[in-house]
Parts: sequence; C-alpha cells; structure tokens
Amino acid sequence: MNPQSYKLRRFLGNFAIYFVLSFFALVMIFPFLYMLATSFKIPSDTFRYPPRMLPRDPVEITVTGYGKPLPLYYVEVDGVQKEFALAQSNIKVGTYAPADNLNATVERYLSEVKPTGGAMNPQSVTINGEETKLFDVELDGQVIPMILVSQTTVGEFIDPQNPEIKVYRNVRLSDPVENISWHPENYQQVVELNNMSRALTNTALVTILVVLGQLVTSVFGGYAFARLKFPGRDTVFVFYLGTIMIPFVMLIVPLYQLMVLIGWTDRLAALIIPWIFTAYGTFLMRQHFITFPKEIEEAALLDGASRFQILKDILIPASVPALATQATFTFLYAWNSFFWPLVIINVGNEKNHVLTLALNVLRGRASDTPNLILAGAAIAIIPPLIVFILGQRFFVESVASSGVKG
Amino acid sequence: MTKVASLDARTNQILRLQVIWRVVFAVLAAAGTLAPWIGWVTLASNWQKILVSALLLVATLASLIGARQLTRRSHAGRLVSLTLDYLAFVTCAVITLNTGEIFIGIDALGETFGRGLPYLGIAIAGYFLGAIEDYYPQRNLSVTTSLKTVSRWIILGGFVLFLWQVGAVNGLLYFLGKLAQPKGFVAVAGILVFGFSLWSMMRPEVAQALNAKTNHEQIINGWLFLSPNLLGFLIFFAGPLILSFYFSFTDSDAFNPPNWVGFDNYARILNVRFAWLSTPDQLARDVVDIKVYDEVGRLTLGNGGLLFAAADKFFWLALRNTLTFVLFAVPFSVIPALLLSNVLNSKLPGMKFFRAVYFMPSIAAVVGISLVWQWLYNATIGYINYFITLGIEFWNNLFNLAVVDPKIQWVSDEKTALFAVIIIAAWQSMGFNTVLFLAGLQNIPGELYEAATVDGAGSWAKFWGITLPMLAPTTFYVVSTTTIQAMQVFEQVFILMNPPEGPNNSTITLVLYLYRSGFQNFKQGYASAIAWVLFIVIFGLTLVQFQRQRRSSIYEG
Repeated sequence: MNPQSYKLRRFLGNFAIYFVLSFFALVMIFPFLYMLATSFKIPSDTFRYPPRMLPRDPVEITVTGYGKPLPLYYVEVDGVQKEFALAQSNIKVGTYAPADNLNATVERYLSEVKPTGGAMNPQSVTINGEETKLFDVELDGQVIPMILVSQTTVGEFIDPQNPEIKVYRNVRLSDPVENISWHPENYQQVVELNNMSRALTNTALVTILVVLGQLVTSVFGGYAFARLKFPGRDTVFVFYLGTIMIPFVMLIVPLYQLMVLIGWTDRLAALIIPWIFTAYGTFLMRQHFITFPKEIEEAALLDGASRFQILKDILIPASVPALATQATFTFLYAWNSFFWPLVIINVGNEKNHVLTLALNVLRGRASDTPNLILAGAAIAIIPPLIVFILGQRFFVESVASSGVKG
Repeated sequence: MTKVASLDARTNQILRLQVIWRVVFAVLAAAGTLAPWIGWVTLASNWQKILVSALLLVATLASLIGARQLTRRSHAGRLVSLTLDYLAFVTCAVITLNTGEIFIGIDALGETFGRGLPYLGIAIAGYFLGAIEDYYPQRNLSVTTSLKTVSRWIILGGFVLFLWQVGAVNGLLYFLGKLAQPKGFVAVAGILVFGFSLWSMMRPEVAQALNAKTNHEQIINGWLFLSPNLLGFLIFFAGPLILSFYFSFTDSDAFNPPNWVGFDNYARILNVRFAWLSTPDQLARDVVDIKVYDEVGRLTLGNGGLLFAAADKFFWLALRNTLTFVLFAVPFSVIPALLLSNVLNSKLPGMKFFRAVYFMPSIAAVVGISLVWQWLYNATIGYINYFITLGIEFWNNLFNLAVVDPKIQWVSDEKTALFAVIIIAAWQSMGFNTVLFLAGLQNIPGELYEAATVDGAGSWAKFWGITLPMLAPTTFYVVSTTTIQAMQVFEQVFILMNPPEGPNNSTITLVLYLYRSGFQNFKQGYASAIAWVLFIVIFGLTLVQFQRQRRSSIYEG
C-alpha cells in the first residue's frame, strides 16, 4: 500500500466516523433545538406547514391613506415577484359566462353584479336540466345576462410605494413576507399563565434541600461503612446493597399511606424528607472513602482528633469531586421527578406544584399554543442542562466508573 | 486507658443516677406499651398498635438490662443506655419539630424562598471568593488572608439577608407559638432529659469508669454516624417495603383500616382462561363466562383459534404492552449505544464533545422531553412526518417511484402509539448507555488488539472476538439497568398520550395501571399486588440475564 492511498483511506475513515457521530449528535440535539426555537415563536407560526426552525413574524407596512399597518405579501405582477401590501381581503369574485358560450368567461365582483330582472323577480335559465340563475354582467359597455360559473375570494394587494397600483390574488396561496424575530415574552406569559414562578421556586427549594440532606446522610453513613468497625455493620451493608435494585414503584403505595398518616399529603415536606436517605448514595460514598489512605486518619486520631473532625477537616475537603458528582446526580433526580409529586401533591393545590406538575397542568391548559408549552418545557429542562455542563467533567467520568466498578 | 481509674465521687453519682433513670425509663416505656390497648392513646389500625407496642416493649426490656449491667459496672450498660437515650432523643426532636410545624412550614418557605435566592447566591459567591486561594496557593499571604476575611463576611451577610428575606424571624416566632402546647412542652422536656443523660454518659470519666476500650469508640461512632441514614432508611424504605407486602393481601384504600383478604388480589390478577374457538371470529361470550372474563387477545390457528380471557384484562394488556416496550426499547437503546461507543473510542479529537452531546437527553426531565416529542410527533405539522415526507419525495424522485406518504398518526393510532413511546425512551437512554459502554471499552487492555492485529485479524473479527466478550460484564450491567428502567415506563406514556392508556388501551403499562388502581380508584391493596408482580417479573428478567452473562463470561480469563 503506498502512503498516498493509506492517507486517503484514513481520511475517508475519519470522515465516515465524524459523519456518523454528527448524524447521531443531530438526532440527540434536534428536539432541544426545536424546543428552544418554538418557544420563541408566535402561535400562528407554530402551526405552519412545512415546519420551519427559526421563529418568524409577518412584516407589516404603513401605507399612506390606510389607517392600520398592512401585512406584506409576495405577489407576482407581470411575471416579476414583488412585495405588495394586502389592503383588503375577503373580496368575493365570481366567474361569469353567457349560457350559450360557457368558455367566454369574465370576472366581476359579486357585489357589482345584480340578478337579471332585479332581486324581486330573478330570471333563470335551464342548463343540462338544472335551473341556473341569470345575472346582468356588463361587458364592453353592454349588459349581457350570464350565469355564475364559480366564485372565489381574493384580496386586494397594493404597491406600498404607489397605492394606485392594485392587483387581486388569492390570499391563502400568497406567501407573506416575514422576518426572523424572537419572542422572549412567551416565557413571561407562561410564567404568568401557570404559576410557573412559584413552581420554579418550589422545585429549587425541594432540590436544594434534598441535595444537602442526601449529602449529609450519605457522607456520614458512607464513612461509617468504610472506616468504622462495629458489630452488625456488614449485615446492614449487605441489606443496603440488596435494596438498591428494588424499583421505586414498590414503595409508592405504602409511602403514600405513611404520608397520609403523618399528614404530609399535599405538602412539600413529602417531596423532601423521604428522599434524603439513600442506600445508593451511601454506597457510592462508601466506595469513595474506602480508597482513602488509612494512615492519615490514624495519625489524626493519635493527635486526639475526633471522628467528626477527621471527616470535616480531612475527608470532606479531599472528596469534593465525589461530592460534586453525587450532588449532580441527586440534583437531576430531584429536579426531574414526576411520579411521586403527581401522587402526593393534589392537582388543585397549585401553590405546592413543582415544575413537572406545572408542566402537566400546562399541557392541558395551553394545548393550542405549543410555543407556550415548549417555553414551559424549556424552563424545566434548561437548569439541569446548565448544571450538567458545569459539572460535566466530574459527572460523565463518574457515571463511566460507577457503572463498571459497581 | 487500660488501668482501672478510681471512681471519683461525681462519676459515681452519675452512674447511680443513670441506674435510677434506666428504671424510670423502663416504667415509662412499659406504660407506653400498654397505652394503645387500654385506650389511653388511639391509633387507627392494628398494625400501628402492634408496631408501637413492640418497639416500646423492646425498649422496656433493654432499659432493664441496661440498669442491671450498669449496677455491675459493665460497659454494655453504657452502650444500651446510649442507644435508648439517643433513639428517644431523636424521637423527641422529631416530635418537637413536627409540633412546631417545621415540616409543614416548608410550604410557606416556598412562597418566600424566591425572594431570598439572590442573597443565597451572594453567600455562595462569597464562598467561591474564599476558595480562590485554594487554586492559587502561591499568592501573597496577606492578600489571601484578607480575602478569606472578606469572603467570610460576605457569606455571613448573604446568609443573614437570605434568612431575613425568607422571613426566618416570623417562622421562628410561629414555631415557638405552635410549640406552646402540652405536647410541645413534653417533647422539649424529653429533649432536655435525654440530652442530659446522653451528655453524662458520653463523659470520658464515665467511659473510663466502665472500662471502655478503643473498639467501643468505633462502635458508638459507627452507629451514631450511620444512624440518620439507617433510621431514614428503615422508616422510608424498609418499613414501607414490608408494608407493601402486607397491603398486597388486604383491600386497603389508604383511608380506612385495611381488611385481610388473603390471596384474593393475586388470584384476581392471575385469573385467566384459555378457550378454543371453532371459528377465528367466534364471539368471546360463546366460550367463556363474560360476567367474569374479558377477552384480552386471540390467536388464529387455521380454521379455529385460541382465545385468551382474563378476569382483569387491563393487567394482562398492561403486561403485554410493558413487555413489548422492553423488547423493543432495550435493543433500540443498547445496540446503537454499543456501536456509537466503539466509534467514540477512536482517539480522534472532539470525542468528549460528542460524548457530552449524547448524554444530554438523559439528564432532561422526562415530562419536558415528552412534551417536546408530542409536537414532533404531530401528524400534520410535526417534524417527524415532515422528514418522512421529504425522504419519500426524494426517494420517489430518485427512482421514479410512487411510494405513498403514510402520514402516520403517531400517537392516535393504536398500531404506532406504543412505538412512539419506545422511540422516546430509546432516544433518551442511549447516551447514558454509550458512556457506560465507553468506560467498559477503555478497560479492555490494548495488548489484546495488538496481538490480534499481529495474527492478522480484521476489525470486524476483533469486534466479535475481543470487544464483545470482554465487554460482557458491562453489557450485562447496561442491559439489566435499561430493562429495569423500561419495565417501569410511566412518565412518557402519561404525558404523551391523551388519555394515558392510549387508543384502545394500546399504551397502558404496568406502572400506569398501578397508578390508576392505587391512586385513581384507590384500590391500594390491589395496586400493591400489581407492584409485587411487577417486581417478580423484573427479578426474573434480571436473573435470566445474569445466567446468560455467567455463561458468556467464560471468555474472561
């Protein structure tokens, strides 16, 4: 193999790799882009077909002689595409033809054509066995009775520079002139519509307390499992390990009844207190502490330090990456949880809704405005994404390591 | 520490007091044991009475044993004493907090927390200001000390402002006001008494007087450190797990005392009937008693057929849908993840970027994601159908064909509804699995590939001969966790489908049915039984995979 063809093959191979990776990256990221782009659109823009990514607004222009700004459309005039303003829509136009020569059609406004013989005594003609009304149509200065072949609705388009130039086109078939414009006020609107700010605060509160609580209990528990010898420790540890794989739905009914018993249904406490004790987090912290060299600790003990001081002054400062990882995990779990809040917080009690519950309500309340729904979804999705991007370095690595070592 | 210290008068007094206290404690606990049964305290149901009495009975006996051991100056007495007092102390503390409505008060915090958040941000910024020193340790010392002071003041100030903004003062006053009732006084008194007892027994002189050894320190600290975690675990995990098992044999409805119904719940779930049909479209009422059984499905066999009917058809439909979901969602997530991880494992630049991008879906809220996909799936304006249309047009133009655009009604057609959910789930879990596989790949020693290259193996042979067998433990982990996740599919279905069970029950899943039984019809005993059946299915699937993994792991040297 000569070096040139080797280089070419390597280039092609790398190209294929990047192509595949980029394709999947696009698949992964597309729904997020769609969500963001749509959340900045106006409602009518979201229902367009074919769908378009960037949010657009119809352009309006002020024409002298017209009070309101008029929407601009692309109109073909004499074979040239021009931007004309729509001055009047819903103008009804009829196509008329003499009864004896249906191909000789003329177009007139419906409002300008009167029935033959006047409204009181309309005349008609029979064509193919069907009785058809006759109308007086003026053609080249003559009034000729004709029948109505078809009718359409058109709009009157005018040249914004020269309002005297008018053309008539079907409005629906004309493309409006649009420019790209973003509507961040959708977020404002969804927050007001759906008590979203309260849900956001509740979610932040719940998440912060769950993260802090879990860190405390699992640091202490993990340290006890990793470093302190006491009878019963290994039995309890095996017990903890055995429950890690038990799915949460096993607990939902008895936990609900427990909450009914203590009176925590409908309360934020129910979203916090049961979740700050975790077998999995304790297990992870234990795995972390067990790798820590024992000698440092023994030296500190000889110097008269208490276990608590050792934990606070030596182990915790040295475990920031592990703690950050667990905090990120817990953050995501607490922020995104939906099933338990759905069970425990009443739909009517909007004061205590978290974001996922608020989204569930929003889904029904704003079903005809996808822009608002997706703005709500973005409010729920973006904070975890930011946390992820900040903690990415620790997080992805640790998922990678915990999966295999565990 | 080994020499026996002479007891000074004060230690002696403490120990004597402690013996008396243990006897008083035992008497109080004994009274508490009897209380629910002679009507001093009213508890809702029998299991609560039994639980409370059993715990207090154990406490009574333990306290008496502790008193006996303390009179003999044995260290075991100290351990018993500490344990009992600690548990009682924690109980009193929780009762105090609950009486003061701290837990319920979190709701009120939800109202004011938003106002305080900026100040909390200031406090955190102050912390980072102080942490700068750790990153640039060789800076001028005087600058860093002043920086530390400034940072401490910022943290303190931010925190005080935060507390002020969230209305901590009002909260504290409210707490104290609520506490001023008999229950609150008793609980606070309990905290003081038990706290004093704990403090006296923790004194080094007392420990020495009872011949404490070094490993005793580890025992006490070990249980102490583990206790918050363990207590929470017992109350909010192990206890409910046992209760769930108990409920599955009752007709519990969450609000009235449950009645024992034996195996009725399980019997209803498993009450199924197979019947032969003489023609494929024979009506179900001709072959089974339709007062009891509903048709779940039928199989056409030649001129006849087989009818499957069940007393609870929704359970079996849910089981069918859930298993179908697992059968598709797991491979759709795992196989692309396996291939992608192999591509990502190449040492080209930018791989970390792609890895992060693939990871993104798995961290976003399922509820939000499902809402986004709901619009992507929209049959008239959704992007998915648009892409299909574009693809078909391109294909037709290229080969001059006339393939008809299917215009799939993704979520409202019973044939595609479950598939729509499968796609979301696979999309969302793929990146996570990719990262897991990637880690597994990076643990495969490179020498294996080098040796294979020397032997003339191509990349395809290397993949089948080295990568897959060496990856078997990771694959087991990935497949089993993805399966366990998939068996519990609920949120995607709940959000995407309207109603959640989908057209013609095509997306009713086990967890959705559990939710409907337990929390819409409030047949919580029945829901518990469904949960245990679900657990058994999950356990069985995991076991099967484990067996397969064991068989295939012979490759591992």
